[in-house]
Amino acid sequence: MEAVAELPFEMGMIYEGERIRGPDMYVELGGPKVKYKAELTQSREASEIEDGLVKVIGPDLSEMEEGGRYNFGILMEVAGEKIEKDLEAVLERRIHEFCNYVEGFMHLNQRYDIWCRVGKKAYGKGLTSLKFLGMALVKLFKAELPIIEKIQFTFITDESEVVEFHSRALEIYKARDARARELKDEDVDEFYGCVLCQSFAPTHVCTVTPTRIALCGAITWFDARAASRVDPKGPNFPIPKGDLLDEVRGEYSGINDVTKEKSLGEVERVYLHSIFDHPHTSCGCFESIAFYIPEVDGIGIVPRDFQGEAVNGLAFSAMATQAGGGKQSHGFLGMAIEYMRSPKFLQADGGWERIVWLPSQTKEAVLDSIPEEMRDKVLTENDVNNISDLKDKLIEVEHPVVNRWEEEPEEAGEERDLEAPVMELPGEMVGLPAGSGVRIILENARIHADRVILKKEGK
Amino acid sequence: MRILVGGKGGTGKTLVSGLIVRSLIEGGVEGPILAVDADPDANLGEALGVGVESTLGLVREELLENQRRMGPEVDKRVWLESKIYEIITEGQDFDVLTMGRPEGPGCYCAVNNILRNLLDTLSSSYPFLVIDAEAGLEHLSRRTTGKVDEMVIVTDLSVKGFMTARRIVDLAESLGSRFGKFHLIANRVVNGGGALGALSSRVGIDIHTIIPEDPEVTRADIEGRSVFTLGDESPSYASIRSFVGKEILREESG
Repeated sequence: MEAVAELPFEMGMIYEGERIRGPDMYVELGGPKVKYKAELTQSREASEIEDGLVKVIGPDLSEMEEGGRYNFGILMEVAGEKIEKDLEAVLERRIHEFCNYVEGFMHLNQRYDIWCRVGKKAYGKGLTSLKFLGMALVKLFKAELPIIEKIQFTFITDESEVVEFHSRALEIYKARDARARELKDEDVDEFYGCVLCQSFAPTHVCTVTPTRIALCGAITWFDARAASRVDPKGPNFPIPKGDLLDEVRGEYSGINDVTKEKSLGEVERVYLHSIFDHPHTSCGCFESIAFYIPEVDGIGIVPRDFQGEAVNGLAFSAMATQAGGGKQSHGFLGMAIEYMRSPKFLQADGGWERIVWLPSQTKEAVLDSIPEEMRDKVLTENDVNNISDLKDKLIEVEHPVVNRWEEEPEEAGEERDLEAPVMELPGEMVGLPAGSGVRIILENARIHADRVILKKEGK
Repeated sequence: MRILVGGKGGTGKTLVSGLIVRSLIEGGVEGPILAVDADPDANLGEALGVGVESTLGLVREELLENQRRMGPEVDKRVWLESKIYEIITEGQDFDVLTMGRPEGPGCYCAVNNILRNLLDTLSSSYPFLVIDAEAGLEHLSRRTTGKVDEMVIVTDLSVKGFMTARRIVDLAESLGSRFGKFHLIANRVVNGGGALGALSSRVGIDIHTIIPEDPEVTRADIEGRSVFTLGDESPSYASIRSFVGKEILREESG
C-alpha cells in the first residue's frame, strides 16, 4: 500500500456537502441503522505512534457486500510537542470536515453518531480500501494542522472490536463533557457575541460565556465558538474579554466595548451576573424572567410556559415587555433555564439565597443545582400565590432574605438613599393599591409611544 | 432549478406538486429531484407514494428538548445535518423531505438559522427542487425559501383562490428579484370554465394552465393511491405534463 503514490480520488473543499444518496452508495459505515459506531481522537507519546500508519481491523471495503451497512469505528492517534489532551476534541471535530474533502466519501455527525457512505462511483474508480481514506486524512491533517507531528489511523469494522471501541469511546466522551461543564469564564480568552435576534430587538447583543448560556437556552459558549468559526461573518463573533472590571457582577471592558458598538450606543455597560443596575439585555427569546420583588427584597423567576400570574401578580407576558426589546430594565432579566445551573447564577445578587419564588415544574428541573439548604426555602406556586402571603411564608421557612429586612432601619423614611434598588414600573401598573400613601419614584423613566397623532382641534 | 407551488389551501397544490415531480421524471431529467413537503396540512409523501417516518419539525423539537443532555461540545449544526439526512425518504428518482408541524412558543431563532443554512446546502445538491408550500406564505415572508425560478400558483374557481394568487404575486414582487416566472394554474375547472375570464381579469393575472375536474384524481385520493397510478390520459396528469414540458423542460434544455 505504501507504494501507492496516487490516491484514487480527488480531494478538496469543493467536495464538502457532497451527498451520497441511498441508491448511489456502495456501502454505509455507521449511521442510524447500525448500533455501534464512534470516532475518537487520542493524543499519544511520539514513541507510541508510527507516523502515517493506517490500519484496518475487520473487513475492508473490497470485502464488504454491496449495499451493506457495517458497524464502524475511526481511531485517530496524534503526537506533537504542542498537542495537549484538551485539543483532542478540537482535532476530532476536523475528521468530519476532512473526510468530506474526499470525493465520493460522505461523513455525517460526530462522536457515537457517525454516519459514512462510500459512493458506487468512487468504489468503481478505485476507493476499494479504507487505507486510501486514511492516507488522505494523514495528508490533510498534517497539511492543515502543523502542530501534528505524528499521526496514525485505525479503522475498525470487525463487529466485536467496534463494540469494544464504542464503549471505550463513550467513557472518554463522558469524561470530556464533565471537564467541559466545569469550564469557567476565567479559563477562556474569548467570549462570544450573538446578534441573531437583532431583527426583533435592534439594540440587543447577547454575550455568551462558559457560565452564561444565551438567554434563549440554545447557544452555549461551545456552540457560539463553533458557529463563529463556520461563518465568521455570521451572527456569532468572538468578544475579547478585555479587563475584568468587576469580578462578582461579571463586568468586562471587552463586553462593554462590543455591546456599545453593536447596540448602536444604546447599552454601555453590562453585568453578566446581576439583575440590577446594568443587567444583560434581552431580545424576546428568553426562556424565563427573573424579577425583583421589592416587598421582600427577593427575586422571583417565571418561565415562559408558566400559565397564570407569578407571585407578584404579573404574568410572564406582562413582564416580557419589560425584560425584552433590547433595553436594560433594572430589576428584570431575561435568561435561560440552564443559566440557573451556572456556578455564577446571579452571584452579584446573592444567587440562590436571593431566589424566593420559582414555579414547581422548573424547580424540579433544576433541583440538583439548588444548594441543598435552599431546596425547601425557594417557594413555588403550590406554597404561595401573592405578595401579601409571601412575606409570612418566607419567615416560616427561614429564607435568608428575611435577614436582609432586619438589616434595614425600620424608620427609613421616604427620602433615604435606597440601598435596595428601585424598580421601574412594569408596562401596566398592575396591583397598585389606591390611596396607600406610597410615593412612586420613576427613576430613569422612559416614556414610549407607538404613535403620536396630531389632530387639528374640532376636526 | 427551484419550483415553488403555492396557493390557497385545498386547491390542489399537493396534487400539482406531485404531478410536476412525476412529469420531470418521465420527461427524463438527469439527477434526483428533492420534493419538499412544506405544508403542515398536506401530505406530499403520500401523494408520491412514499412513507414518511419523521419530519423536520420533530427533529427541531428533539434538539430543543435534548440539548442539555447532549455533551456541551456536541456540534448542533453537524447533528442537525445528519438528522435531516436521516428523515429524507430516499427513492430511485426522487427524495422527499417533510417539514412537518410549525413551531411552538419557544425560541427558534438559533435552530432556524442553522436549518436555513443547511437546507440551502442540501437543496443545491439536487438539480431539481419542488416545494409544496404552505398556504400562509410563511416561506416567502420569512425568506426561508431562497431563490425560486418558477413560481406555480394553484387556484380553484373561487374568488378567494384568485385573491390568494394575487397576494402571492404581490408579496413575491415586493421581495425583489429572487423570483423567476409566475404560472397560474386553475384546478378543478368545471363547465368549460366560463367564470375563469372574469376571475382572472379581476386579479390581473393570466391563467396559464387549466386542469379540468378529474374523477380519477378523486378516486385515487379515496383509495390512497399515488400520482404515479394516474393513467397517462388522466386530464390532470396530461395538463401538468404539458405544462412541465413546455415551461420547465424546454427552458432547462434551452
